[in-house]
Amino acid sequence: MIYALRHRTTYAYEEPVTFARCVLRLTPRDSAAQTVLANAIKVSPRPVDVRDGVGPFGEKTRTVVIDTPHETLVIEANSRVDVHAPTPPEAGRSPPWERVKAAGLDSFVLGPEGPAAHLYPTRRTPAAAAITEYARQSFGKGRPIIEAAAELMTRIRDEFTYDPDATTVSTPVLDAFTARHGVCQDFAHVMISGLKGLGLPAAYVSGYLRTIPPPGKPRLEGADATHAWISLWCGDTDGWVGFDPTNALIVQNDHIILAIGRDYSDVAPIDGIILAPGVQTLKVEVDVIPQDEANVAAAAGPRARSRAG
Amino acid sequence: MAAETATQRRREDLEPSAAKRLSGWLRGYTPIPGIPDELFDAGGRPRADWLSFLGDFAEYPDGESKSRFDLATRHIRDTGVSYRVYGEENEQSWPLNPLPLILGQDEWREIAAGVEQRAKLMEALLQDIYGPAALVSEGHLPAAALTGSVDFLPQLRGVKPPGGRYLQIYAADLGRGPDGRWWVLDDRTQAPSGAGYALENRLVLSRAYPNLYNAMNVERLAPFFDGFRKGLAAAADRADPRICLLTPGPFSETYFEQAHLARYLGFLLVEGDDLIARDGKAYVRTIAGLKRADVILRRVDADFIDPLELNGASRLGAPGLLEAIRAGGVAMLNMPGSGVAESKSLLGFLPKLCRRLLGEDLQMPNVATWWCGQPLERNMVERNLEQLAIAPAFNSQSDDGALTRPRMMADLSPEERADLRQRLADRPGDFVGQEVVRLSTMPVLRDGLLQPAPFVLRVYAAWTPEGFKIMPGGFCRTSERPDVRAIAMGGDARTADVWVIDDKPVERVSLLASKDDVKIRRILGHLPSRAADNLFWLGRYVERAEATLRLARSLCTSLMDSESAAHTSGETLASLQELLIDWGALDEKHLGLGALESARDALHDQTAYGSVIYLVRGARRTAASMRERLSADFWTLLVNLERELTEGAQAPLSEAEALQQVESALQILAALAGLAQENMNRVAGWRFLDMGRRIERGINACRITRTFAHDGATPDDLDLLLDLADSQITYRARYLVGLALTPVRDMVMLDPFNTRSLAFQVQTIREHLSVLPSLLDDGMLEEPSKVLLPLVADVETADAKSLTSAKIQAFERSLLRLSGAVADRYFLQGAHAVPTVKLGGLA
Repeated sequence: MIYALRHRTTYAYEEPVTFARCVLRLTPRDSAAQTVLANAIKVSPRPVDVRDGVGPFGEKTRTVVIDTPHETLVIEANSRVDVHAPTPPEAGRSPPWERVKAAGLDSFVLGPEGPAAHLYPTRRTPAAAAITEYARQSFGKGRPIIEAAAELMTRIRDEFTYDPDATTVSTPVLDAFTARHGVCQDFAHVMISGLKGLGLPAAYVSGYLRTIPPPGKPRLEGADATHAWISLWCGDTDGWVGFDPTNALIVQNDHIILAIGRDYSDVAPIDGIILAPGVQTLKVEVDVIPQDEANVAAAAGPRARSRAG
Repeated sequence: MAAETATQRRREDLEPSAAKRLSGWLRGYTPIPGIPDELFDAGGRPRADWLSFLGDFAEYPDGESKSRFDLATRHIRDTGVSYRVYGEENEQSWPLNPLPLILGQDEWREIAAGVEQRAKLMEALLQDIYGPAALVSEGHLPAAALTGSVDFLPQLRGVKPPGGRYLQIYAADLGRGPDGRWWVLDDRTQAPSGAGYALENRLVLSRAYPNLYNAMNVERLAPFFDGFRKGLAAAADRADPRICLLTPGPFSETYFEQAHLARYLGFLLVEGDDLIARDGKAYVRTIAGLKRADVILRRVDADFIDPLELNGASRLGAPGLLEAIRAGGVAMLNMPGSGVAESKSLLGFLPKLCRRLLGEDLQMPNVATWWCGQPLERNMVERNLEQLAIAPAFNSQSDDGALTRPRMMADLSPEERADLRQRLADRPGDFVGQEVVRLSTMPVLRDGLLQPAPFVLRVYAAWTPEGFKIMPGGFCRTSERPDVRAIAMGGDARTADVWVIDDKPVERVSLLASKDDVKIRRILGHLPSRAADNLFWLGRYVERAEATLRLARSLCTSLMDSESAAHTSGETLASLQELLIDWGALDEKHLGLGALESARDALHDQTAYGSVIYLVRGARRTAASMRERLSADFWTLLVNLERELTEGAQAPLSEAEALQQVESALQILAALAGLAQENMNRVAGWRFLDMGRRIERGINACRITRTFAHDGATPDDLDLLLDLADSQITYRARYLVGLALTPVRDMVMLDPFNTRSLAFQVQTIREHLSVLPSLLDDGMLEEPSKVLLPLVADVETADAKSLTSAKIQAFERSLLRLSGAVADRYFLQGAHAVPTVKLGGLA
């Protein structure tokens, strides 16, 4: 499936900002599961310095420095991505989760592709006892890991309420867990915390999700959103498998991956420091347009989102 | 045998009273059975070096050694070599033992060789982890033994450290095991603390017992620090580099150690806000613009140094620093990420890694440690859970309630035990099991008796251009309790100086000054902007406190002095209160209150931002963050002032008591002003302190003149004004006619010879500005001067007769503009003026 992606972020400031240094993670990931056909990032006002790099988890980064005073900052990324993920491994045949846990500790891969990089709690994904116990209910002794994780994912979808007003980007995961409310970011953090609490290697994924307009209605411009889900290492054979706890989907061709990290902080599409005395407001518009509209009707309809998934 | 005869000889040499004292000490000293002791060797004989020291020490008559020690401690700690005085809340205080730890040459050689090898091993380990990572890929080290550390920074993998190395300073915490050998309890690769305390301890003891110190061939510390400084300088890419010590600031529990080290080594003490990363380099904001920071000695944990790439909540670093390090524009040591090497998960692997990396056997063993991330080790730990100490394997990024320090199962509550067992089962990689270490003991003096105390010795290795050098000495902590388990070492520890005895005479090197290689400099210095900012505000706080005190004094005296009772009645009282309300010293609802209540509130209301106590606290806090720039006396006075006010606030004061408090506070402030005038070097720092004071005083002069010398002012008003402006004596000396509006106005506003007048303030400020550096090279005036010069002209040409309220208000506004212009120009650095904000939102 080929997608055309538009991701436009507008910051408006109350008073002119004289300096900004931003790290952009707006180039979709190139991997066996998806090929980036095109990617262009426009920043306005024009940056004085632009540097491209690769982040610690293999994500493509662009660092921009802006030193012209500005009251709005617009960052727009346009990409074309061919998603051709392999069929996920069969859940019932995946290894028992305890074996995966042992293999994660015994890995000799230091880089982000290995399980060790995603084994330990982070500030946003602590191994909180309450979340671990919640996750444990799905992880019976010897249960195949994909089956167990899929159940945990489905429980989060069923038992948590999608509510963009319940949390903010900095709400601690335990608060979202206790409230059983939140958005995709919170659900992903909850699931990662639970998995890490059990000793399993899990990563945070940022990206986009294809949304399906209601029957008979045209797709609305900019109505889509950025999305987040998780990736669980399921042993050397099955490797990393994506789980979307917001929609209870095992990830395949509806999800377009931007970046993978340990938690939101590692992969925020735009991260930056500005010199600003005043208040900022933010608007994000995302369009995910499948290039083959004919397939749209056939696909199951995930929940549409107004704020980031 | 040799020791026996030495003992004999030693005792025979001594005065009878000293011999008696010595044998009393030795007889009364009972080492703990089965635990090695520093004074007595395994055969129960006193060691020669100790005996020699104690013999000499015994020659001090009763009480003299104590008074010498107390005097030296007070001298060193109170005169500003150390800044740890008067109970700062966050300060770790380390009381010093009167006796040093004494180590003979043989003992020391073993320690030094072991620590040096370990420093090399840690450096090689870090080179591999952040370089080829062959140890992992070749199967020597599981990846998960590294990735749990908050100091494993994937951002820096493959980055060549500027300067070529990771470690500038390494420290090992050592204990002597039951077999008499030295063991490593912990490695310190992040930013080892304590070297500054070691320096200070040495200063105290060498002053307390100079004859013993000189007679015993104690190895000097100065050459070590000299090498340390050269090592840092060598990391820079240009000659004569600017070296900064990056501190977390005054809230760090080792802040004063850091300030002491920075001053001793001649480094600039900077906080994150002082630094700016730009164009792949790091700069310090100074009053003379941005100055390059070539080398940064890091005392901030790596996680906090760059909010852009690491912990986004950090306020202790500067955004972009990591990028500057990657670009090679600044050498930061120890290199961020070095902390991963102190993970306890690695301890069990070190013997193997040492052979692999250095091709030699590990000389100094560490405490037996099993990382539970490996199945066999985990089983072994679980089987022996009750006998082992359980410790966190890493400094973790998340604080999710796991262990924060080594614990014994037996010391935990049943709930804690159950929780730990569950966590160990769920996340074994987070933990290590460790053999319980028993420390050896050394003699300490308690109430005149010699007693054994368990101790831990921290030994430092510094990289110098000639390779790693070991500090001959160290930071020794002794426990107050007889429990010899290392994990029992608590916060109540004391420290001891460490004397390494050379077998040949040592070269005398002074700790405080190096001979003639110091370049003479008579310059203002590149004062960091933050320090200038703090000094400026310190000046303003202190001056405002003084002005408020004068208002409070007028309120009090008016009550006591029946002749001027008019002050308390009607308009004058209201005017005083209104001034206090304007200044935030008094709440608006107090307008109707009596004079005494108003005076009390103005002094002590903790919630009013303009009350004296509030201002003095502000001054003290401001001063605390730059104590290295203030004399110890200055600080002491300020702390005393705060204490007096805090005590005074406890109970409502009578008029007389309130007045006494005011008078006493004014005296302290006068002493502070005198110190600043006479005891501060006229470098840029003093100019900012004084400029803050002058601007504040000028503003206050305008305000009180407008209030009490308006066209309808009564003689009482004018009298009060002269009180407030502290100009009574000057006025009476000059004008015999009595109080009249025009001369009073002239005296308080325009008289350039009255140190309290507006005219005097603006002229002084002009002098300050003319001396401070300019950023412009085109000969144009900078903004502060552009604001000030018209004001100077206006004041000089003004005439007291026609000095309207509006005119005075215009002066006042100019001063406020000037304050803003000074801040913009010197403290904030133009485009980098505004504090940084994290770009927020769900993007």
